[in-house]
Amino acid sequence: MKTWLIWLKFAWQNTLRNRRRSLVTAAIAALGSAAILLASGFALYTYESLAEATARDSGHLVLGTPAHFSSDEEIPLQHGLSQVNRLRATLLADERVRHVLPRVAFTGLISNGDKSTVMLAAGIDPDSEFAVKGPFLTLTAGTLLTADAARPQAMLGADLARSLKARPGDGLTLLASTTEGAMNAMDVTVAGVFTTGVPEVDKRMVYTSVDTAQRLLVTDKVSSLGVFLDRMDATDSARQRLAAQFPELSVHSWEQEAVFYQAVRNLYNRIFGALGIIIAVIVVFVVANAMAMAIIERTREIGALRALGTLPRQVLLMLGLEGALLGSLGAAVGALLALAASLLLYVFPVDMPPPGRTTGYPLHVTIDPTLYALTMLAMIALTLMASLAVARKTVHLPVVDALAHT
Amino acid sequence: MIGAPLPTGPAAAPVLRLQQVHKTYQLGAHRIDALRGVDLCVQAGELLALTGPSGSGKSTLLNLCGLIDTPDAGEIALNGISVNGLDETARTLLRRDALGFVFQNFHLVPVMTVAENVDYPLFLADVPLAERRERVAAQLAAVGLAEHARHKPDALSGGQRQRVAIARALIKRPQLVIADEPTASLDSRTADQVLALMRERGHAEGAAFIIATHDPRLTAQCDRVVSLLDGVIP
Repeated sequence: MKTWLIWLKFAWQNTLRNRRRSLVTAAIAALGSAAILLASGFALYTYESLAEATARDSGHLVLGTPAHFSSDEEIPLQHGLSQVNRLRATLLADERVRHVLPRVAFTGLISNGDKSTVMLAAGIDPDSEFAVKGPFLTLTAGTLLTADAARPQAMLGADLARSLKARPGDGLTLLASTTEGAMNAMDVTVAGVFTTGVPEVDKRMVYTSVDTAQRLLVTDKVSSLGVFLDRMDATDSARQRLAAQFPELSVHSWEQEAVFYQAVRNLYNRIFGALGIIIAVIVVFVVANAMAMAIIERTREIGALRALGTLPRQVLLMLGLEGALLGSLGAAVGALLALAASLLLYVFPVDMPPPGRTTGYPLHVTIDPTLYALTMLAMIALTLMASLAVARKTVHLPVVDALAHT
Repeated sequence: MIGAPLPTGPAAAPVLRLQQVHKTYQLGAHRIDALRGVDLCVQAGELLALTGPSGSGKSTLLNLCGLIDTPDAGEIALNGISVNGLDETARTLLRRDALGFVFQNFHLVPVMTVAENVDYPLFLADVPLAERRERVAAQLAAVGLAEHARHKPDALSGGQRQRVAIARALIKRPQLVIADEPTASLDSRTADQVLALMRERGHAEGAAFIIATHDPRLTAQCDRVVSLLDGVIP
């Protein structure tokens, strides 16, 4: 048997001396590992979900004029993109690009004749927008916009529709400043009513077609183009390629546009980072305490082993392995617990009630092998270091003093 | 034979030689001269009893002979080579290779089996596994514990545990075994058996024994008796 295996066996036998203490220590390490894995898995799931949602909303890449990203507009579409169809065709020729969605963002008023209110509007391509983005909103009444509608159409957020007492088929008027600075109005028919789950958006949001928006604003420009790629991880390379291809334009990735994603990520990193540190400190203290008790109880035995010719580093190795074994056991059980809990959440879904939203989202925990491996390694390393730290003094005690320890 | 002169000449090369060894302890504000110029010579295969009242310096002398403590002055030589000035690692390796220990309270490792306890010094010395197995089996047979090889020390009587400790001390064929009150925890009959075993195994393995003891029956069976009084050998 290899030497280190014998030390490992010896360490394992020593962990079994006081089984209750070892069990409690390993249980704390297990709970700590499980807590870190579940919290980190939840954070990872949130990051992935938000990243996908953001990329789905804006596109993996957003093309616009440099001023579109850096300056406020004094008149609508002042920094808009022109010659959109040619640009779109060029973009679609790229092998990684699957869809290019134009967007006209503007503000104005919406009126039912009796009441007018502020709206945040987006002109979209009805044929592609809903097909490409999938279920990014929930239709509560009516239908989605259609490109071949006889009359200009609009979709209203649920709270806005309620405020204007508008239902599908009703007529409303959109008012906005044109690109020349004059006021313009256009009658539209309510095609549908939707909810995004965010009350602030549902109270103001209006979707209409790009054509309708351009006619209202009297322009052929769009605010930006959303570029949808075949793979999320192709974003950076595609961004560099398109930036080189269109030097006069700015190409932003979804991440640069995702203010909410960045804010959540920063917040969760801090929260879960602090949680991880607290758990690590607790585990270190528990293991250090358990090992300190074990070592004090065995001081005379350590003295005898030293007298027999055991080198201090060999005793240190043995005691370090004891701590690492408890950490390994705890980390393995913790990983199994976290895995079971993560799988259970897929079988029995739990909805999270997020602040500022009317609809929850499922509580899922990502099972990431790298995260599991790193957490287990960190747990083993922590318990090893805690053991070594408390063992160091006793191991280097003069043999005579160790043997005389009472 | 008490206070016998140190053997001299090439035929009597000592395993251990102490010359004018001094050791002082500071106990609070008090300075205690535990050893004051002790000379001692231990020959190969010799069974030497170290006696003296409590506080006479027996344990201190035993610790110095076992290289687990260092003198303040004087010289200690093992096999003619001075061990003064050796660092802790070198002293540990010397203990591992040349010395055996038998403690009053046995100090067997409770989580190890009897065989594993006896095997431990060979494991430390990197002896090949096959040889270790063979030597452990032979040593256990020699001390009459072959059938207890797989038992834990807790399952043995005091006498049996001390026999395991003797087997552990002798397994690596040391030149010198340090035994601190090896029979103090045993009844008289078991103590006689243990002493007989130490004598027999010591002679068989060619190991010298320094045995610290208060037991006059034990000293009577040793080759030589050295008495300590107030830190000196009178």
